[in-house]
Amino acid sequence: MAKNYLLEILAVVAILAFCGLFLFTSSTMEGAEFAGSDNVGSGLIAELSGKSIDSFVPLIPQYEPPSGEIESCLFALQSALGGIFVGGVFGFWLGQKKSLTETKVN
Amino acid sequence: MHIMEGFLPWQWCIVWWLIALPCLMLGVWHLKKVMEKDREALPLLGVTGGFIFILSSLKLPSVTGSCSHPTGTGLSAICFGPWVTSVICAIVLLFQSLFLAHGGLSVLGANIVSMGIVGPLVGYAIYRMLKDTRVNIYLTVFLATALADMFTYITTSLELALAYPAEVGGFGTSFVMFMAIFAVTQVPLAIVEGIVLALVFKYIVALKPDILIRMKIFSEAQINKARGEA
Repeated sequence: MAKNYLLEILAVVAILAFCGLFLFTSSTMEGAEFAGSDNVGSGLIAELSGKSIDSFVPLIPQYEPPSGEIESCLFALQSALGGIFVGGVFGFWLGQKKSLTETKVN
Repeated sequence: MHIMEGFLPWQWCIVWWLIALPCLMLGVWHLKKVMEKDREALPLLGVTGGFIFILSSLKLPSVTGSCSHPTGTGLSAICFGPWVTSVICAIVLLFQSLFLAHGGLSVLGANIVSMGIVGPLVGYAIYRMLKDTRVNIYLTVFLATALADMFTYITTSLELALAYPAEVGGFGTSFVMFMAIFAVTQVPLAIVEGIVLALVFKYIVALKPDILIRMKIFSEAQINKARGEA
């Protein structure tokens, strides 16, 4: 029984450990802002090149989401789109499998 | 792993675009072949592509006190190879450049190389190495997906270190500094991603083993063994 669900158990443990790690870091680490590593990387670029971070302007003008809310909305949209694909296909396969076994029985 | 728009000198933007473009063309060609050969492969493409959409939108906190996102590219690389995967990644990255100001059009080439080409290539190489050995197929999927994730971020560090060598110590010092930001943050994320995608693969094996066998992703004996034991 337990062996059949080894991967499920491992996944739950890994996710719980991940959450635990986050709670631990966020409560003990000084100055942990949980900013994107992309932005931390950009900070290092500014440091290494000796230019101020504001002097880096887009080479090609781009749209910037006016607020964090709109940004998270668009990110949610992206993952919802992925979720539709994944859920749709798994449901399709499940139905396919079911109808296949049913025809075999009949 | 996104290099932000404007943060890469234009010369490097061109270099990475020149590397990315032929790979994308190869990917489109492969994609056409996959669709002509087997329509049943399309749902599988939907699932593996769907996970790239989902996982690359999740920004997760990590031990370094900053956030980063998994890539989800390994599964697609295993099933369809690295080139098809680069096309899907290019779509995701284009969406993020256009609407989210994550990355940008000039740095898109560099971001495609790290997330869409080097990561999937590493994942695919690991899968090919372990495919015909006695290694459990879920362990193979775990290693391929986790390392595809890791190498995406190592590549980003490399791209930035090449463009911004430190004044003292040059390329090597910068590389270590960027690795400390990108790669270290990524370690726990890559492990979780690997386990989750191995679990997803288990469900694909359970629901649609015939497509995996027909596409020769794993042999019939391996799939049957996995169905028996997990």
